[in-house]
Amino acid sequence: MTIFLIIPAFNEAPVIRQVLEELLPLGCFIILVDDGSTDDTARIAESFPIVVIRHLFNIGQGAALETGMEAARRLSADFVVHFDADGQHDSREIAALLKPLIKGDCDIVFGSRFLENKRPGLTLLKRMILHAGRWINYGLTGILLTDAHNGFRAMNRFALDKIHFTQPGMAHATEILTCVKKYSLRYMELPVHVRYTAYSKKKGQHILDSVNILFHLLFKKN
Amino acid sequence: MKLFQVVLILSLVFILISYLRRFRRPALDKILVSLLLVAGIVFVINPDVTTKLAHLLGIGRGADLIFYLAMLGFCYMIIILYSKINKLEDQLTTLIRRQAFDAINLQKEKHD
Repeated sequence: MTIFLIIPAFNEAPVIRQVLEELLPLGCFIILVDDGSTDDTARIAESFPIVVIRHLFNIGQGAALETGMEAARRLSADFVVHFDADGQHDSREIAALLKPLIKGDCDIVFGSRFLENKRPGLTLLKRMILHAGRWINYGLTGILLTDAHNGFRAMNRFALDKIHFTQPGMAHATEILTCVKKYSLRYMELPVHVRYTAYSKKKGQHILDSVNILFHLLFKKN
Repeated sequence: MKLFQVVLILSLVFILISYLRRFRRPALDKILVSLLLVAGIVFVINPDVTTKLAHLLGIGRGADLIFYLAMLGFCYMIIILYSKINKLEDQLTTLIRRQAFDAINLQKEKHD
Protein backbone atom coordinates (compact mmCIF):
# COMPACT_ATOMS: atom_id res chain seq x y z
CA MET A 1 0.00 0.00 0.00
CA THR A 2 1.69 3.15 -1.25
CA ILE A 3 0.58 6.49 0.15
CA PHE A 4 1.76 9.75 -1.37
CA LEU A 5 1.43 13.18 0.21
CA ILE A 6 1.25 15.89 -2.44
CA ILE A 7 2.31 19.32 -1.27
CA PRO A 8 1.98 22.26 -3.65
CA ALA A 9 4.28 25.04 -2.49
CA PHE A 10 4.85 28.60 -3.60
CA ASN A 11 7.26 30.77 -1.60
CA GLU A 12 6.88 28.88 1.67
CA ALA A 13 10.52 29.03 2.81
CA PRO A 14 9.75 30.29 6.34
CA VAL A 15 7.59 27.27 7.23
CA ILE A 16 8.36 24.46 4.79
CA ARG A 17 11.11 22.88 6.94
CA GLN A 18 8.80 22.60 9.92
CA VAL A 19 5.96 21.20 7.81
CA LEU A 20 8.20 18.55 6.24
CA GLU A 21 9.76 17.59 9.57
CA GLU A 22 6.27 17.04 10.91
CA LEU A 23 5.29 14.87 7.92
CA LEU A 24 8.38 12.67 7.53
CA PRO A 25 7.79 10.43 10.58
CA LEU A 26 4.48 9.33 9.05
CA GLY A 27 6.45 7.13 6.65
CA CYS A 28 4.52 8.17 3.56
CA PHE A 29 6.10 9.14 0.27
CA ILE A 30 6.13 12.88 -0.16
CA ILE A 31 5.97 14.81 -3.42
CA LEU A 32 6.57 18.52 -3.10
CA VAL A 33 5.71 20.54 -6.18
CA ASP A 34 7.53 23.84 -6.10
CA ASP A 35 5.38 26.13 -8.21
CA GLY A 36 8.11 28.52 -9.32
CA SER A 37 9.05 29.87 -5.89
CA THR A 38 11.48 32.76 -5.89
CA ASP A 39 12.70 32.04 -2.35
CA ASP A 40 14.52 29.05 -0.82
CA THR A 41 11.49 26.71 -0.78
CA ALA A 42 12.92 24.27 -3.34
CA ARG A 43 16.42 24.27 -1.83
CA ILE A 44 15.10 23.51 1.65
CA ALA A 45 12.75 20.81 0.31
CA GLU A 46 15.57 19.17 -1.62
CA SER A 47 17.50 18.62 1.61
CA PHE A 48 14.77 16.16 2.66
CA PRO A 49 14.41 12.59 1.37
CA ILE A 50 11.37 13.46 -0.72
CA VAL A 51 10.52 13.95 -4.39
CA VAL A 52 10.78 17.61 -5.36
CA ILE A 53 9.36 18.68 -8.72
CA ARG A 54 9.96 22.23 -9.79
CA HIS A 55 7.86 24.34 -12.13
CA LEU A 56 10.00 26.81 -14.06
CA PHE A 57 7.73 29.60 -12.98
CA ASN A 58 4.51 30.10 -11.07
CA ILE A 59 1.32 28.76 -12.70
CA GLY A 60 -1.08 28.11 -9.85
CA GLN A 61 -2.08 25.65 -7.17
CA GLY A 62 -4.31 23.62 -9.48
CA ALA A 63 -1.47 23.09 -11.95
CA ALA A 64 0.95 22.21 -9.13
CA LEU A 65 -1.47 19.63 -7.72
CA GLU A 66 -1.93 18.09 -11.16
CA THR A 67 1.84 17.81 -11.58
CA GLY A 68 2.07 16.10 -8.19
CA MET A 69 -0.79 13.76 -9.04
CA GLU A 70 0.82 12.88 -12.36
CA ALA A 71 4.03 12.00 -10.49
CA ALA A 72 2.00 9.86 -8.06
CA ARG A 73 0.36 8.07 -10.99
CA ARG A 74 3.75 7.33 -12.52
CA LEU A 75 5.08 6.09 -9.18
CA SER A 76 2.09 3.75 -8.89
CA ALA A 77 0.49 5.32 -5.85
CA ASP A 78 -2.45 3.57 -4.20
CA PHE A 79 -3.59 6.61 -2.24
CA VAL A 80 -2.77 10.30 -2.39
CA VAL A 81 -3.33 13.08 0.12
CA HIS A 82 -3.36 16.79 -0.76
CA PHE A 83 -1.68 18.77 1.97
CA ASP A 84 -1.04 22.53 2.15
CA ALA A 85 2.53 23.74 2.49
CA ASP A 86 1.79 26.67 4.79
CA GLY A 87 1.38 24.56 7.92
CA GLN A 88 -2.33 25.14 8.36
CA HIS A 89 -3.26 21.44 8.26
CA ASP A 90 -2.65 18.95 11.05
CA SER A 91 -0.55 15.95 9.98
CA ARG A 92 -2.17 13.82 12.70
CA GLU A 93 -5.44 14.00 10.77
CA ILE A 94 -4.03 12.34 7.64
CA ALA A 95 -4.65 8.85 9.01
CA ALA A 96 -8.30 9.71 9.69
CA LEU A 97 -8.81 10.89 6.12
CA LEU A 98 -7.21 7.73 4.72
CA LYS A 99 -9.18 5.32 6.89
CA PRO A 100 -12.43 5.20 4.90
CA LEU A 101 -10.43 4.98 1.66
CA ILE A 102 -8.40 2.02 2.86
CA LYS A 103 -11.56 0.33 4.10
CA GLY A 104 -12.98 0.87 0.62
CA ASP A 105 -15.97 2.88 1.82
CA CYS A 106 -15.37 5.73 -0.63
CA ASP A 107 -13.08 7.00 -3.38
CA ILE A 108 -12.38 10.50 -2.13
CA VAL A 109 -12.46 12.18 1.27
CA PHE A 110 -12.77 15.94 1.67
CA GLY A 111 -11.53 17.68 4.78
CA SER A 112 -13.99 20.20 6.15
CA ARG A 113 -13.36 22.87 8.76
CA PHE A 114 -17.08 23.46 9.26
CA LEU A 115 -18.26 19.94 10.14
CA GLU A 116 -17.45 20.17 13.83
CA ASN A 117 -16.80 23.83 14.33
CA LYS A 118 -19.25 26.34 12.93
CA ARG A 119 -16.91 29.30 13.13
CA PRO A 120 -13.30 28.20 13.07
CA GLY A 121 -11.59 31.51 13.67
CA LEU A 122 -12.68 33.13 10.43
CA THR A 123 -14.08 36.57 9.94
CA LEU A 124 -17.75 36.84 9.11
CA LEU A 125 -16.98 38.03 5.57
CA LYS A 126 -14.68 35.07 4.85
CA ARG A 127 -17.28 32.66 6.17
CA MET A 128 -19.93 34.28 4.03
CA ILE A 129 -17.76 33.98 0.94
CA LEU A 130 -16.96 30.34 1.67
CA HIS A 131 -20.65 29.65 2.07
CA ALA A 132 -21.45 31.45 -1.17
CA GLY A 133 -18.74 29.27 -2.74
CA ARG A 134 -20.47 26.13 -1.45
CA TRP A 135 -23.71 27.11 -3.14
CA ILE A 136 -21.99 28.15 -6.36
CA ASN A 137 -20.29 24.74 -6.39
CA TYR A 138 -23.68 23.18 -5.78
CA GLY A 139 -25.17 25.10 -8.69
CA LEU A 140 -22.35 24.10 -11.01
CA THR A 141 -21.89 20.48 -9.93
CA GLY A 142 -24.92 19.42 -7.88
CA ILE A 143 -22.71 18.54 -4.91
CA LEU A 144 -23.07 20.46 -1.67
CA LEU A 145 -20.09 20.18 0.67
CA THR A 146 -19.82 21.92 4.02
CA ASP A 147 -16.49 23.47 3.03
CA ALA A 148 -16.03 24.77 -0.51
CA HIS A 149 -12.30 25.41 -0.52
CA ASN A 150 -10.30 23.14 1.72
CA GLY A 151 -6.93 21.97 0.42
CA PHE A 152 -6.85 18.92 2.70
CA ARG A 153 -8.27 15.87 0.90
CA ALA A 154 -7.40 12.27 0.15
CA MET A 155 -8.29 9.90 -2.67
CA ASN A 156 -7.70 6.36 -3.83
CA ARG A 157 -6.13 5.20 -7.08
CA PHE A 158 -9.47 5.02 -8.88
CA ALA A 159 -10.19 8.69 -8.15
CA LEU A 160 -6.58 9.62 -8.90
CA ASP A 161 -6.92 8.21 -12.41
CA LYS A 162 -10.22 10.01 -13.00
CA ILE A 163 -9.45 13.44 -11.61
CA HIS A 164 -7.41 15.73 -13.82
CA PHE A 165 -7.09 19.43 -13.06
CA THR A 166 -7.22 21.71 -16.06
CA GLN A 167 -7.94 24.80 -13.98
CA PRO A 168 -4.47 26.10 -13.17
CA GLY A 169 -5.57 28.33 -10.29
CA MET A 170 -7.86 27.96 -7.32
CA ALA A 171 -10.94 26.97 -9.31
CA HIS A 172 -9.69 23.36 -9.17
CA ALA A 173 -11.69 22.98 -5.94
CA THR A 174 -14.82 23.14 -8.08
CA GLU A 175 -13.31 21.10 -10.87
CA ILE A 176 -12.70 18.22 -8.48
CA LEU A 177 -16.44 18.16 -7.75
CA THR A 178 -17.20 18.11 -11.46
CA CYS A 179 -15.06 14.98 -11.72
CA VAL A 180 -16.73 13.41 -8.66
CA LYS A 181 -20.10 13.96 -10.33
CA LYS A 182 -18.99 12.88 -13.80
CA TYR A 183 -17.45 9.58 -12.70
CA SER A 184 -19.88 8.98 -9.81
CA LEU A 185 -17.04 8.82 -7.31
CA ARG A 186 -18.09 7.92 -3.78
CA TYR A 187 -17.19 10.84 -1.54
CA MET A 188 -17.23 11.64 2.14
CA GLU A 189 -16.49 14.66 4.29
CA LEU A 190 -14.55 14.45 7.53
CA PRO A 191 -13.84 17.20 10.04
CA VAL A 192 -10.35 18.68 9.99
CA HIS A 193 -8.84 21.50 11.99
CA VAL A 194 -7.27 24.46 10.28
CA ARG A 195 -4.59 26.29 12.19
CA TYR A 196 -4.84 29.97 11.41
CA THR A 197 -1.42 31.29 12.19
CA ALA A 198 -0.39 34.81 11.31
CA TYR A 199 1.69 33.25 8.53
CA SER A 200 -1.05 31.12 6.99
CA LYS A 201 -3.45 34.05 7.12
CA LYS A 202 -0.98 36.22 5.27
CA LYS A 203 -0.32 33.49 2.71
CA GLY A 204 -3.97 32.58 2.37
CA GLN A 205 -6.26 33.86 -0.31
CA HIS A 206 -7.56 37.37 -0.31
CA ILE A 207 -11.30 37.84 -0.19
CA LEU A 208 -11.24 39.31 -3.68
CA ASP A 209 -9.66 36.12 -5.07
CA SER A 210 -13.13 34.61 -4.90
CA VAL A 211 -14.08 36.91 -7.78
CA ASN A 212 -11.18 35.52 -9.81
CA ILE A 213 -12.25 31.97 -9.09
CA LEU A 214 -15.82 32.62 -10.17
CA PHE A 215 -14.62 34.32 -13.35
CA HIS A 216 -12.40 31.35 -14.20
CA LEU A 217 -15.24 28.91 -13.62
CA LEU A 218 -17.66 30.79 -15.82
CA PHE A 219 -15.42 31.61 -18.73
CA LYS A 220 -12.82 28.92 -18.95
CA LYS A 221 -13.78 25.94 -21.01
CA ASN A 222 -13.91 22.38 -19.60
CA MET B 1 -12.62 68.63 -45.70
CA LYS B 2 -12.23 69.42 -42.05
CA LEU B 3 -9.08 68.70 -40.06
CA PHE B 4 -10.57 65.99 -37.82
CA GLN B 5 -11.78 64.17 -40.92
CA VAL B 6 -8.23 64.04 -42.25
CA VAL B 7 -6.93 62.79 -38.91
CA LEU B 8 -9.62 60.09 -38.61
CA ILE B 9 -9.14 58.91 -42.20
CA LEU B 10 -5.37 58.71 -41.75
CA SER B 11 -5.68 56.73 -38.52
CA LEU B 12 -8.18 54.31 -40.07
CA VAL B 13 -5.89 53.78 -43.05
CA PHE B 14 -2.99 53.27 -40.66
CA ILE B 15 -4.93 50.63 -38.69
CA LEU B 16 -5.92 48.91 -41.95
CA ILE B 17 -2.36 48.76 -43.25
CA SER B 18 -0.84 47.62 -39.97
CA TYR B 19 -3.55 44.97 -39.60
CA LEU B 20 -3.05 43.62 -43.11
CA ARG B 21 0.72 43.64 -42.80
CA ARG B 22 1.13 42.19 -39.37
CA PHE B 23 -1.42 39.45 -39.16
CA ARG B 24 -1.83 36.57 -41.46
CA ARG B 25 -5.44 35.59 -41.11
CA PRO B 26 -7.91 33.81 -43.34
CA ALA B 27 -8.83 35.91 -46.38
CA LEU B 28 -12.39 36.34 -45.18
CA ASP B 29 -11.13 37.99 -42.05
CA LYS B 30 -9.15 40.49 -44.08
CA ILE B 31 -12.07 41.32 -46.33
CA LEU B 32 -14.28 41.92 -43.30
CA VAL B 33 -11.82 44.25 -41.65
CA SER B 34 -11.16 46.07 -44.93
CA LEU B 35 -14.87 46.59 -45.46
CA LEU B 36 -15.27 47.89 -41.93
CA LEU B 37 -12.47 50.36 -42.27
CA VAL B 38 -13.56 51.53 -45.73
CA ALA B 39 -17.03 52.03 -44.24
CA GLY B 40 -15.32 54.03 -41.52
CA ILE B 41 -13.72 56.30 -44.11
CA VAL B 42 -17.04 56.74 -45.92
CA PHE B 43 -18.73 57.64 -42.63
CA VAL B 44 -16.04 60.18 -41.83
CA ILE B 45 -16.38 61.90 -45.21
CA ASN B 46 -20.14 61.73 -45.21
CA PRO B 47 -21.52 61.51 -41.64
CA ASP B 48 -25.11 61.78 -42.86
CA VAL B 49 -24.92 58.20 -44.14
CA THR B 50 -24.65 56.94 -40.57
CA THR B 51 -27.70 58.94 -39.56
CA LYS B 52 -29.71 57.48 -42.42
CA LEU B 53 -28.53 53.98 -41.54
CA ALA B 54 -29.36 54.60 -37.89
CA HIS B 55 -32.86 55.78 -38.73
CA LEU B 56 -33.31 52.69 -40.88
CA LEU B 57 -32.46 50.57 -37.82
CA GLY B 58 -34.59 52.67 -35.50
CA ILE B 59 -31.68 54.39 -33.74
CA GLY B 60 -31.89 58.13 -33.18
CA ARG B 61 -28.41 59.35 -34.14
CA GLY B 62 -25.65 58.10 -36.40
CA ALA B 63 -23.13 58.51 -33.61
CA ASP B 64 -25.15 56.12 -31.43
CA LEU B 65 -25.14 53.50 -34.18
CA ILE B 66 -21.37 53.70 -34.43
CA PHE B 67 -21.09 53.54 -30.64
CA TYR B 68 -23.22 50.38 -30.41
CA LEU B 69 -21.30 48.70 -33.20
CA ALA B 70 -17.99 49.64 -31.57
CA MET B 71 -19.17 48.13 -28.29
CA LEU B 72 -20.09 44.89 -30.03
CA GLY B 73 -16.72 44.88 -31.76
CA PHE B 74 -14.86 45.36 -28.47
CA CYS B 75 -16.79 42.60 -26.73
CA TYR B 76 -16.10 40.25 -29.60
CA MET B 77 -12.40 41.11 -29.51
CA ILE B 78 -12.17 40.57 -25.77
CA ILE B 79 -13.77 37.15 -26.07
CA ILE B 80 -11.42 36.13 -28.88
CA LEU B 81 -8.40 37.35 -26.91
CA TYR B 82 -9.58 35.68 -23.72
CA SER B 83 -9.98 32.29 -25.39
CA LYS B 84 -6.57 32.72 -27.00
CA ILE B 85 -5.02 33.46 -23.61
CA ASN B 86 -6.74 30.44 -22.10
CA LYS B 87 -5.35 28.25 -24.82
CA LEU B 88 -1.87 29.67 -24.33
CA GLU B 89 -2.14 29.13 -20.57
CA ASP B 90 -3.04 25.48 -21.13
CA GLN B 91 -0.13 25.01 -23.51
CA LEU B 92 2.22 26.75 -21.09
CA THR B 93 1.10 24.52 -18.23
CA THR B 94 1.70 21.41 -20.34
CA LEU B 95 5.11 22.69 -21.32
CA ILE B 96 6.19 23.56 -17.78
CA ARG B 97 4.96 20.22 -16.47
CA ARG B 98 6.85 18.38 -19.20
CA GLN B 99 9.98 20.35 -18.38
CA ALA B 100 9.57 19.69 -14.65
CA PHE B 101 9.40 15.92 -15.23
CA ASP B 102 12.31 16.00 -17.68
CA ALA B 103 14.47 17.79 -15.12
CA ILE B 104 14.25 15.07 -12.47
CA ASN B 105 14.82 11.39 -12.23
CA LEU B 106 11.48 10.35 -10.81
CA GLN B 107 11.86 7.63 -8.24
CA LYS B 108 10.55 6.89 -4.78
CA GLU B 109 12.56 8.21 -1.90
CA LYS B 110 11.51 7.26 1.54
CA HIS B 111 12.50 8.38 4.97
CA ASP B 112 13.62 5.50 7.19
